[in-house]
Amino acid sequence: MHTVVLTKGVPDFREGQVSFDEEGHLERGKTPTVMNPNDKHALRAALQTKVRHGGTVSLMSMGPPGYMEVLQEGMRDVYADDLYLLSDREMGAADTWATAMTAATGIQKLDEAPDLVFAGFKTADGETGHTGPQTDWCLDMPLITHVISLDVDEDEGRVRAKRLVEGDVEEIETVEADLPAFVVADPEFDSTYRRAEHRLKHKDLREATQERADEFGEYLDDDTDTDPDDWDRFTMWNHADLNLDPDYIGLDGSPTIVAGVDPIPKAPSEREATMVDPDDSEGMEQVVGELTPYAGGD
Amino acid sequence: MPEIDPTEHEIAELGPKIKDVDDADELREMLAFEEDGEDRVPVKTLIEDRIEKVQGDDEETDPAEIDLAELTVADVANMVRDIEDVDVLEDLLEREKSGKDRKTARERIEGQIEAVTGGDEDEEAEGPEYVPPEEKHPDLDHPTNDKQWVEGARDGTYRDMWVYCETQHGELIDVSREMLGKAREMMDAYNADPDEHGAGDDETTTPYGGDEGGESEDVVAVLIGDEVSDLTEEVVAYGADRVVYFEDERLERFRHSPYTEIMVDMARAGGELDGSERDLDWKAYDEPRYTLFPATNNGRDLSALVQGELDSGLASDCSGLYVTDAMISNPAKTGVPGDSKEFDRILHMKRPDFSGFEYSTILCIDKPFRDFHPQGASVIPGSFEIPDPDDEREGEVIEHEMDLDESWFHVDVTDYDTLEGGIDLSGHDVVVAMGRGIGRSPTEGIELGLDLVDAFDDAAFGLSRGVITSSYNFEGHVEQYVAEERQIGESGQVVEPDVYVAAGISGAIQHKVGMDESDTVIAINTDPDADVREFSDYFIEGDLFEVLPRLTDAVESGELAGALAEADD
Repeated sequence: MHTVVLTKGVPDFREGQVSFDEEGHLERGKTPTVMNPNDKHALRAALQTKVRHGGTVSLMSMGPPGYMEVLQEGMRDVYADDLYLLSDREMGAADTWATAMTAATGIQKLDEAPDLVFAGFKTADGETGHTGPQTDWCLDMPLITHVISLDVDEDEGRVRAKRLVEGDVEEIETVEADLPAFVVADPEFDSTYRRAEHRLKHKDLREATQERADEFGEYLDDDTDTDPDDWDRFTMWNHADLNLDPDYIGLDGSPTIVAGVDPIPKAPSEREATMVDPDDSEGMEQVVGELTPYAGGD
Repeated sequence: MPEIDPTEHEIAELGPKIKDVDDADELREMLAFEEDGEDRVPVKTLIEDRIEKVQGDDEETDPAEIDLAELTVADVANMVRDIEDVDVLEDLLEREKSGKDRKTARERIEGQIEAVTGGDEDEEAEGPEYVPPEEKHPDLDHPTNDKQWVEGARDGTYRDMWVYCETQHGELIDVSREMLGKAREMMDAYNADPDEHGAGDDETTTPYGGDEGGESEDVVAVLIGDEVSDLTEEVVAYGADRVVYFEDERLERFRHSPYTEIMVDMARAGGELDGSERDLDWKAYDEPRYTLFPATNNGRDLSALVQGELDSGLASDCSGLYVTDAMISNPAKTGVPGDSKEFDRILHMKRPDFSGFEYSTILCIDKPFRDFHPQGASVIPGSFEIPDPDDEREGEVIEHEMDLDESWFHVDVTDYDTLEGGIDLSGHDVVVAMGRGIGRSPTEGIELGLDLVDAFDDAAFGLSRGVITSSYNFEGHVEQYVAEERQIGESGQVVEPDVYVAAGISGAIQHKVGMDESDTVIAINTDPDADVREFSDYFIEGDLFEVLPRLTDAVESGELAGALAEADD
């Protein structure tokens, strides 16, 4: 069983990490890059497959060389075997369609064709939710999105999944498809390890991969070794390696552009807030007076 | 009296009948009847199109002789497009000036004069030159350019705003109605006469007087599913001029591949890019100009797949839309570094970005030698009002015909269950909502919020979007409470309890939208300048980790512990 997981680095939007300039625009350079939080669900789905069925997991991203650290983080999480970074100036500023073409070409270039490709739902920065489905469209695999649970039947070569459907009412759908298939994990994805042997396998894999990720970390920290391909589990490909015409990737291949970014306007004032110091019991009592009428019975 | 009185027929019946009428005068009489009678826009368009076709077949009107006063601006535009003789055009311009002197008509003629004279050389001198990829990049083997994935178009014709109307259990979902209303509003503004309607304020649709030739463009509703023909009248009532539908019992549930293939086939049918060379009465253009989809799980997927297959782009999860011109200096689009170029009729797509920190405006714009049309958007449910349906509205209904390939059904839907309502935060006495102020200790923050909820008789627990999109690590026992279904705000739920407690919420405008109708708002925040202060009744300037437990105690005991202590002293 060979699986590929797609991931992306995004600005760290946690309080205290994210930085804005005076006009209220996000300062990307000053905000640290972390793995896209939603991708963790894709990683969990891939890990579950590896624990239950064995095989290898390749983790792939497109972005600047700094994303190697994102891949290292992912390696720890998904117990990945190999890391791939598609990295090239020509790939920069790509929208979802140009990204999808690049990622699909990367997947097609792998020596071993994957049985399953996993992607997360939206990224925390672009938040489109398009890249997974569009990459699938380039690969022409059965597509299963918004997956919350997954089972693979290796003997029959089938994947069965439950997926979330939105609308005026919410639904859970059970779907089945032949492998190879493309799975987009929903943020509600749950992995399950019902059997004891799976839980033991999980532990073994974790130990082996932490060592591997540490080894990659040492390589990343070693400034004397600047050849990105020197660590045998890491591969970096540029557009020429992928045989991609630069007119179809990056900014040049992107149908859409961002024309303007506005800080979200402040909410206009309609209420006059009474300021309360928590140490001022008179003020606090006023607040409590608003709450006590709704207190629960005994 | 014409043989067919159009006012006695539905438009669906007229389509086939009118094809047998070859006499332009007879058709003009029919048009007059319709104008005096029902005056339905689609019927008039149908007859006018037929007149144009019939006339094109036999007599060519001589522009040197024609009386301009008898022509509409659209007719003038159509006529001058084919004239390449500058003298004839100058003569027409003079006669228009001395006659009705319509600004739009003058512009059409002047535009053609410019195109015939100066325009050409300028473009050739300044525009980028097309270099085939094999010459530009001889070292690459151009997998993309062999159209493995890219069915690119160049210099295509594009019209109309298409709206994919999602259904569930045989009914339109609300966002489909909302999109139809928004599309109607945009296209009415777009088709308005620029002489009578000045350019609007910022972020409104510019009046173009219809397409480049002055013909009105339509709102086209797309319905795909099982028995969707039951819904055609309803989508017309909500604003569609035309409905294109495809039904098949295998399409009862949404399926990615067949739904994509069907909508793409509809979009390409009748145009030059369509390999099958189908001749459609209602569509001769290559692809839609604009497409709208709902930003639901399935709608968003479909939007990405359809736009990808049509080799175009889109913005997802939009909450604002308008059509106007855009000045672009991006060399990937203009082809010439350093130059700005105006692109007209561009759909401006506004969306909250970066986890709700900023609004971005996304544009989908052609590049030299590769068109990016249709310009697509998906729309956040609830962003626009559901319009009042107009049951008297008339529209054209078209059943799309195509064969479905069995291989498209490679994902089987074996079962489905409707979830019972999910979590409804509305209708409670009190709502306690938590924001990123919990960041110091996220699990404990959630616990403290839940404790306060439990102290009330009837309270609900909500979250700001910031918590949902964060990468906090929550411990297992509170993880179930950190779910998108508890989000309050523009893209979440709207609540209006008697008391709303906002703990550690900074107060983005999207959050305000979700709670501003609450009777009393109590904010707890360490930052006295937090925006939430502007829409709070009480602002407790303090740390939620200290304030929440005291409030919980006070609600449980009926008294404030601090006050008790003071009384004892």
